[in-house]
Amino acid sequence: MDKIAIKQKEVDLNHLLKKSKREKHFITGSEAVKEAIKRANVDIAIAYPITPQSESMHLVGDLYAEGYVKDYYRGENELGVMSAIAGAAMGGVRVFTATGGPGTLRAMEMFPTWAGSRLPIVCSFLTRGINSPLTIQPDTIEMSFLLDTGMLMFHAENSQDLFEMILSAFTIAEEPDVHLPIGVFADGFFTTHTREIIELPQEDIKLAPYDPYISPVPAMDMETPPVRQMRDPFVLKSNFISYAAHASWQQEVHAAKERSIKHINKHLGGMLEIENEDAEIMIITSGTAVSQSRDAIKRAKEEGLDVGLVKIKTIRPFPYEDIRRIVKKAKKVLVPEFNIVGWLAKEIRASVEENYKIIGAPRVFGGMTMPPELILEEIRRACK
Amino acid sequence: MSNNLSIRMAGLGGQGVVTAANILGGALVRAGKQSTVNPFFGAEKRLAPAESYVRVSDEKIYERGEIIYPDIIMIYHPHVITLGKSYTMPFYDGLKKNGIIIINSDEELPMTDENIEKLKEIGARIYYIPATTIAIETAGTELSTNMAMLGALLEVTDLVSMDFIKASLEERFGGKKFIASGSTAALDDAMKGKFDKISQLIQKNMEIIEVSGVKIKKYSLEKGRV
Amino acid sequence: MKDGKLKIVPVFEDIMPQEYIDLVNNGLFGEDYGVEDLGSFKELLEEHPLCAGCGLALAKRLIAASFPNPEDTIVVGTTGCSSLSFTQMALHNIHSIFGNQNAVASGLKRALKIRFPEKTKDVVVIGGDGGLGDIGLGMVMHSWFRGENFATIMLDNEAYANTGGQESGMSTLGKVLNMAPTGKKFPKLSLPQIAYESGCVYTALVNPADAKKLGKIVKNAILMARELGPTYVQIYCPCPTNFKFKPEETLDKLKERRKTDYKTQEFISPEAKQFIERLEGEK
Repeated sequence: MDKIAIKQKEVDLNHLLKKSKREKHFITGSEAVKEAIKRANVDIAIAYPITPQSESMHLVGDLYAEGYVKDYYRGENELGVMSAIAGAAMGGVRVFTATGGPGTLRAMEMFPTWAGSRLPIVCSFLTRGINSPLTIQPDTIEMSFLLDTGMLMFHAENSQDLFEMILSAFTIAEEPDVHLPIGVFADGFFTTHTREIIELPQEDIKLAPYDPYISPVPAMDMETPPVRQMRDPFVLKSNFISYAAHASWQQEVHAAKERSIKHINKHLGGMLEIENEDAEIMIITSGTAVSQSRDAIKRAKEEGLDVGLVKIKTIRPFPYEDIRRIVKKAKKVLVPEFNIVGWLAKEIRASVEENYKIIGAPRVFGGMTMPPELILEEIRRACK
Repeated sequence: MSNNLSIRMAGLGGQGVVTAANILGGALVRAGKQSTVNPFFGAEKRLAPAESYVRVSDEKIYERGEIIYPDIIMIYHPHVITLGKSYTMPFYDGLKKNGIIIINSDEELPMTDENIEKLKEIGARIYYIPATTIAIETAGTELSTNMAMLGALLEVTDLVSMDFIKASLEERFGGKKFIASGSTAALDDAMKGKFDKISQLIQKNMEIIEVSGVKIKKYSLEKGRV
Repeated sequence: MKDGKLKIVPVFEDIMPQEYIDLVNNGLFGEDYGVEDLGSFKELLEEHPLCAGCGLALAKRLIAASFPNPEDTIVVGTTGCSSLSFTQMALHNIHSIFGNQNAVASGLKRALKIRFPEKTKDVVVIGGDGGLGDIGLGMVMHSWFRGENFATIMLDNEAYANTGGQESGMSTLGKVLNMAPTGKKFPKLSLPQIAYESGCVYTALVNPADAKKLGKIVKNAILMARELGPTYVQIYCPCPTNFKFKPEETLDKLKERRKTDYKTQEFISPEAKQFIERLEGEK
């Protein structure tokens, strides 16, 4: 294939997201993924189709054809894709892929493996329901399965977030004291298929390349003294030192996740955003439910009801301390969610003392939408 | 028209429900409005229910997803009503007070007394447009049904000027790859194959929009047609 | 290590075990070794965790002696006994999850091509029959369909040995094993033929009793994979522990099967034939 040599100036994330001149575009979430990868200096992207992710990875394929991405192919299934992405990351290049719903679960074994191998993979999860019965509709239940994989988890409210979080994820994931995979989650259809106005920096700039030699684990390239991905012999052998090694390795993964907080504060402006913190009724949520809540809060205000909003941007690491403080002050806390299990409400309940204040509602699932009217009803009930 | 307007388009897969919404949204944004557009569809393709939603406002739009309480409902195929091929039942569910319904059908569809009573309560304004017939007669392809529906909408609402619609059409079909969904992109190529030139396609579509403005008919819930 | 990449930190020299010092100072690097040189260099620590008489240990030593480019060779393995002694060799070795070795190798090889365009980095998959023939077969075959540039070597002990001797797809028909209490109901997979049909330019069935031949086949498979596309080598590795014979009988088992159904044989495509002729012409 004849590829045009793409000339883009290498810049840092701060320049890319904050200093570069921006223009408005009327595009879908899938296109926002493409625009992020166009500026991410990705070496290898590997794709496998699944609704509602497919368009995103088609478009990344177009970037390969245009010369923005160096290698790209369609893998055999999600497990194969996540494995190949791991292999490429171990080879010391910057990688990207995306999946969602059943694809996430098909590939499940790889996510803790990514974290344990300390691979700075960025994967976008464009969420949807999980079978059975078959559904292709939006639902965030897969996120509950991924809470304890060791991966960092960012949750985008809209396409603007998705664009910025993907780019930020590369920089944060590749920090030597983090060096962990990051899942950037966006709600399928609500974000991927919604066309909206978003602001994009110029096309002629991109992130500086990934440097495998600042990694805390050497690339598997035979350029450094041989080490094993499993760091044997002690891990494979069954003796005290192997248990100790495995235990401390896991602790280190989780410590790295905590160390990411300072980078998240710098690049994402914190793990959460708070509006009207002194209100008696607070809504704490993430993803599309934040947008729906904004609308509901606006209408509640017209009725004279005072409601605050907490948008959680990072599910892992989770902003436990802020949540504790906010819940302590509030009278009641609503947690609207797009899944049946209410994993976010559980997470919040588990991190506060006054868990009776947490109302896990409204909750929709199986592809249902969450009209702001539904949230407004809960607000009215909570105000009584 | 209020500052915020929500349009629900319900049709069958392949009718261009998604494309029409995108063209409308693109025109609205060009006209300086805020707009969001999103589709909803299942895994089935041709003849399966497909819906799309257009929101328009002077301020930033937060709400997303299905439009449960629309100001305007556009029915792209009689089966949406007669066979319940829709995400909402009955087809007018959630329609706001004095809302508008535009139905693509050559003939008026039978409605139960119950539905007529409810539509009267809402104060619904109902219009019929033979959109598919217009598309076939004017452009020689039913793939342009969605353009006739857009023409009808512009006739009854004055939502956005023709110039912006034309610019949005040009963006949609001119050169640059456009992605709403994978299947939509495939249908784009089928559509382009019907015409020798893109300019011809756009010109025909504009003609359809104009013709349908003339052919739209208001339906009276009291005494049939006015 | 003779090309100087790997050195023991001087302050640790006095506390490193002698066998480790040998592996570094007299390892498999820097010379064009072959199987006939085994014993004159150190390819594997003696204290590896494979059983006495294990066919895998034999095969792996023979393979190690046959790498055309050990200085730049990365081995991708998979779960099971086949992975056990890699950690006692001075090579970069990846062990991701059970069965995904060919997908990992695909990503790795492509990454190394991007990072080292002027250099040859050989990626070699070495895994067991369970990992390659059963749980990972889809990913194995798709790496062949895609024409990925690496060799796949199966160490075939005809069972899941690490978990206690269960039937695998590569077990022989009628064999009584765990999970096949009344004998295996379907024949051994004909993977060399499947590999050939799936895009491997060169595939071989190898009995390590033909040690020299094994060395040549492995070398050819790795060299061809660089230029022509995927190659597959399947090596018989008897398992004394699960097949319940004495460790000293391993060589007898090899010879026995060489007479019947595990003869060394190659499936050579026309382009592979040309390649081999070219190599021999260069010598």
